[in-house]
Amino acid sequence: MTSHPALRYEAALKVTGNAVYEAEIAAPGMLHAALAKAPISCGDVLSVDTTQATDLPDVAAVVSYADAGVLQPSPATALIRERAIHFAGQPVALVTASTLQAAREAARAIRVIAQARPPLTALAQGHDEAFAPAMVGRFPAETRRGDAAGALAHADLVVRNRYHTAVNNHHPMEPHVVVCWWEDGKAVVHTSTQAIFGTRAMIAQAFQMPASDIRVISRFLGGGFGCKGQLWWPWMFWAMLASRKAGRPVRLELTRAQMFTLVGRRQETVQDLGLGFSADGRLAGIEHHVLAQTSTHADYSDSTAVYTRFLYACPNVTTTHRLVRTNEPQPIPMRAPGTAPGTFALESAIDEAAERLGIDPVELRVRNFADHDQEAERPWSSNSLIECYRVGAERFGWSQRPAKGTVTDGRWRIGWGMASTLYPAIRQACRVRVELAKDARLRVQCGTQDMGSGTYTALGQMAASSLGIPLSQVTVELGDTLLPEGPFSGGSQVTASLTPAAEMAMARLRATLANMAVSDERSPLAGRPLEDLEFEDGTIRSRTGNVGEPLTDVLARGPAEGLEAEGESAATQHQSLAASSMGYGAVFVEVGVDAELGEIRVRRVCAAFAAGRILNPLLAKSQYVGGLIGGIGMALHERTATDLASGQIVGDSLADYLIPVHADMPEFDIAMIEEDDPHLPGGVKGIGMLGTAGIQAAIANAICHATGKRVRNLPIRIESIIE
Amino acid sequence: MSGPSFQYSRAANVHDALVQASRPGAAYLAGGTDLLQLWKAGAIAPAEVVDISSLSLDQVEFSDGQLSLGALARLSDVASHPDVKRHHPLIASAILASASGQIRNMATVGGNLLQRTRCAYFRTEGLACNKRIPGSGCGALRGENRQAALFGASTSCVATHASDLAVALAALGAEVEVLGAEGQRRLPLRDLYRLPAATPERDTNLTAGELVTRIHVPDASRFAARSTYLKVRDRASFEFAVVSVAAALHIENGRIVEAGLAAGGVAPLPWRLTRSEAALVGRAPGPQAIAAAAEIAVEHARPLAHNGFKVALLRNAVIRALQTIGGQP
Amino acid sequence: MLPGSSISVSLHINGRDHQLSVPACDTLLDVLRDTLGMTGTKKGCDMGACGACTVLADGRRIKSCLALAASYDGRSITTIEGIGTLNDLHQLQAAFIRHDALQCGYCTPGQILSGLALLDERPGNLEAIREGMSGNLCRCGAHPNIVAAIAEVAGL
Repeated sequence: MTSHPALRYEAALKVTGNAVYEAEIAAPGMLHAALAKAPISCGDVLSVDTTQATDLPDVAAVVSYADAGVLQPSPATALIRERAIHFAGQPVALVTASTLQAAREAARAIRVIAQARPPLTALAQGHDEAFAPAMVGRFPAETRRGDAAGALAHADLVVRNRYHTAVNNHHPMEPHVVVCWWEDGKAVVHTSTQAIFGTRAMIAQAFQMPASDIRVISRFLGGGFGCKGQLWWPWMFWAMLASRKAGRPVRLELTRAQMFTLVGRRQETVQDLGLGFSADGRLAGIEHHVLAQTSTHADYSDSTAVYTRFLYACPNVTTTHRLVRTNEPQPIPMRAPGTAPGTFALESAIDEAAERLGIDPVELRVRNFADHDQEAERPWSSNSLIECYRVGAERFGWSQRPAKGTVTDGRWRIGWGMASTLYPAIRQACRVRVELAKDARLRVQCGTQDMGSGTYTALGQMAASSLGIPLSQVTVELGDTLLPEGPFSGGSQVTASLTPAAEMAMARLRATLANMAVSDERSPLAGRPLEDLEFEDGTIRSRTGNVGEPLTDVLARGPAEGLEAEGESAATQHQSLAASSMGYGAVFVEVGVDAELGEIRVRRVCAAFAAGRILNPLLAKSQYVGGLIGGIGMALHERTATDLASGQIVGDSLADYLIPVHADMPEFDIAMIEEDDPHLPGGVKGIGMLGTAGIQAAIANAICHATGKRVRNLPIRIESIIE
Repeated sequence: MSGPSFQYSRAANVHDALVQASRPGAAYLAGGTDLLQLWKAGAIAPAEVVDISSLSLDQVEFSDGQLSLGALARLSDVASHPDVKRHHPLIASAILASASGQIRNMATVGGNLLQRTRCAYFRTEGLACNKRIPGSGCGALRGENRQAALFGASTSCVATHASDLAVALAALGAEVEVLGAEGQRRLPLRDLYRLPAATPERDTNLTAGELVTRIHVPDASRFAARSTYLKVRDRASFEFAVVSVAAALHIENGRIVEAGLAAGGVAPLPWRLTRSEAALVGRAPGPQAIAAAAEIAVEHARPLAHNGFKVALLRNAVIRALQTIGGQP
Repeated sequence: MLPGSSISVSLHINGRDHQLSVPACDTLLDVLRDTLGMTGTKKGCDMGACGACTVLADGRRIKSCLALAASYDGRSITTIEGIGTLNDLHQLQAAFIRHDALQCGYCTPGQILSGLALLDERPGNLEAIREGMSGNLCRCGAHPNIVAAIAEVAGL
């Protein structure tokens, strides 16, 4: 199968407004829901008086803690079963009514009596209570390789600094939503989720019901970036309870303000990073200590220092992760979790070292290239990082890099900077079913999701090209737990997970068709060896001889219901991996800084990425660019602010929380270096998050190159430039 | 999100509007772009809105060099009006730097001048804000105050005014015509606004039900060749000013005859830099005069924990704006 | 007119007349999505900051989440449903597809309506397009492709 730039499968639906997102499902008799929140940010709810709300006209069911008593106690249901308030904005009840306005007014009429405790609202406040989690995702939180302290004590050059990254929120354009109802005790849940099967499992566990009695549907997802990647928001269960209570469908749609508090965040980090080098630029030792925020009801640590363990070659590496509990919303993964904050520190420090050592930043990284995974003591399945540096540097013109602070363009001081980026290549288990009708129309099914990541297209394209039929003849079905179980959309894993399963399903289908042809004397291909056959232009034909027949002819002789096949693939077996798999990239940026006004603009970005096999260059480029833009937002704009006194978010709107706009866009030049990785079934590595790490440091490095100012806090804003 | 339901009525004419607005809890609805945001955020809770958007107060008239903007003229219409572009380009620039194309099509001149502060403490229920709830405190004072004022604030309120148009109009010495039950009055733009002092809940000197009908801008032909609106933002567009400067110079024989200078993002109202203007008069528009004017502009600035950078930023923005227009033609 | 909580409104949407009785507080966005079931126009923030709700009112782009429906009585509204169909795409929609000017698609209808209005203003270069489109946010990062699609139709 070769790659080709097929257009996005569902694009026509989306550009005409015909893609139906889950908030837009018509559910007759549907009630609108609104959440009432606690008036405090820390403490306990003593009573929730819903009588004034239920008295209002148009109000139907109201649910609160008491109603959730029927649910299974678990971390997932804690926030709706227990009366402890952990953060400002935490809901205490859900109200349903025949109109949204009525529901909101009723929510305001709910009287909450609560006992407040002084909230902890800043990392600094809880510093003394910092603790180390055992694990950081699937990695240990603390590692020691060699003797980093000793190596740093004796290094020729030590670069040791503190870096700070702000709280970010995911803010997909589509807010979270659930539209749910019950049919004979079975639940139908339309929701904007990156994980229909994960959501189903959580519902099954909470409601103590068989998964087969729950259908979760998410056909079109208006973005996720991690905040829809798991059942994070338990208030979905309240919506389901309200629907059961009222006997009508219920729609709960979060407001944009609620997207700041109720669906996770990228945690704040404070990172102490020390790099020790020998005079010839070899890393002798690294110490990377991370302190981050978590909530008072659950622990989460980003894998911030994990990649420091193996991105570069270094014999002595110590990394630690610690958490501080504050009365703030719970952090979860957000696009490029771990790699984004971690590479900001590491790639900034490498750059500082390059300058002090008098070695070119790219050359310094090349010198410290890790030719195998030194942490897991395994080879790489493929690592084209050096090629990324080379290609990126050449396309960017890096060899022409001017001396620091010497180039201006009108009011702009020009600077160039670069950084490495990486992301693990992981697969989840996946099943794909294909059905070929007698008219040679193909249906491909997988219970996975497309959040704009191109899943519909990848699956459709793979199936179409493997059968030699046009994409227009393929129907792709995703996003329904009635379909074969597929991966959740996260960790840049979907395409990699799908590919081997889809390829297997298609291979089986082709084998069936081929056998039908060669074993049937009515076929012009009768008696031919199977290897002689190829599928092209809607026909099955001989590679060597000038014979063939349309697929429809083969199918006409087959079963009336057509053919079907399934394929499956396994998840990455982390414990028994023969090689470590990462996608890599090198990001080069040119920035302009107005030193008097403090404005910073990214003028051009050139990035070279190596992520295995690229199925669709058009969509892959969109993913890469999209990721880079997310990284620019983190670098220069995004910061969720908290009022320390109350614990409330200050500026819970997209007018205050700034993401890049059209006028911010630099020129993008993307090079996609293909790799043939025999260790990866399907050969695909994830690409969605490669762009969102590295660029933050590249920008900080470029700003330093332009102005001499080294900024170690994100976001870098006007006040970072002007003091 | 959203306040209690309100009722709706439509004004048949200006006098009908005054009558309807005299009912308690009534608020005027023009473009609605600020009112609806405030209502949805729970910052205001009108009992009813009186829709004045179809009243014929939207004309843009230019005669004898003077510009008259109907308060209901849409921002986009004003910015694209040939007379505004030719004779009062500072106004067009300020408007085009505001908001987004969509908002400019909806928002009116009057509504833009009367917009409430963007301070998040004002716009978020539950946060301490004396402007929204007198006596509840000023959360910004010791809280998140990157946006806060450098001038004109009080311990009750440190919020800033966010209108770009107001800054340009302030630099040009505009006047506002107001109609109320008592009749019509005309006042300098500056007198439309109030400093917070101990009563931050009152942004303006309008009495209940008074309607801004027209904005008068004096002849600005002497400035047309040398005026600029400089808006400093974190991102390249669609953001309120961190700091902005409207600057206009009238230069004859190499000397500044008159200067119009005002700053945004630094005060509870558009901040006319009168003393800087005076310091420029009679001088050549060179680096020293410009630097001196900029230094005067930041005198008496009272920064808070997070907005101290705005002092240097204002100084530099004044310098940049004057440099831009002070050079040889 | 006496104040009321329910207002009679006549809206001409995509060439069809609708006589409606709408709650006083309903925005045009509420009416489109919830009353009329025209869900092509999206609700991204409901506060005028994201532009996903962009429609045309008498040919001018507005943010429908800040447009009080009662205030738009008698107006002519164009939504994404009125711009081309699956079988007869508007030139700009076709350009969006070719340039992959979308990913999750949620901001897309708003980008298209906004882009159509901007094209009427005859933007002179890419910078003018970028500036002119800045009222439409995109979180997936389709910006460069969106601008390329608009530029193609603009003949730039």
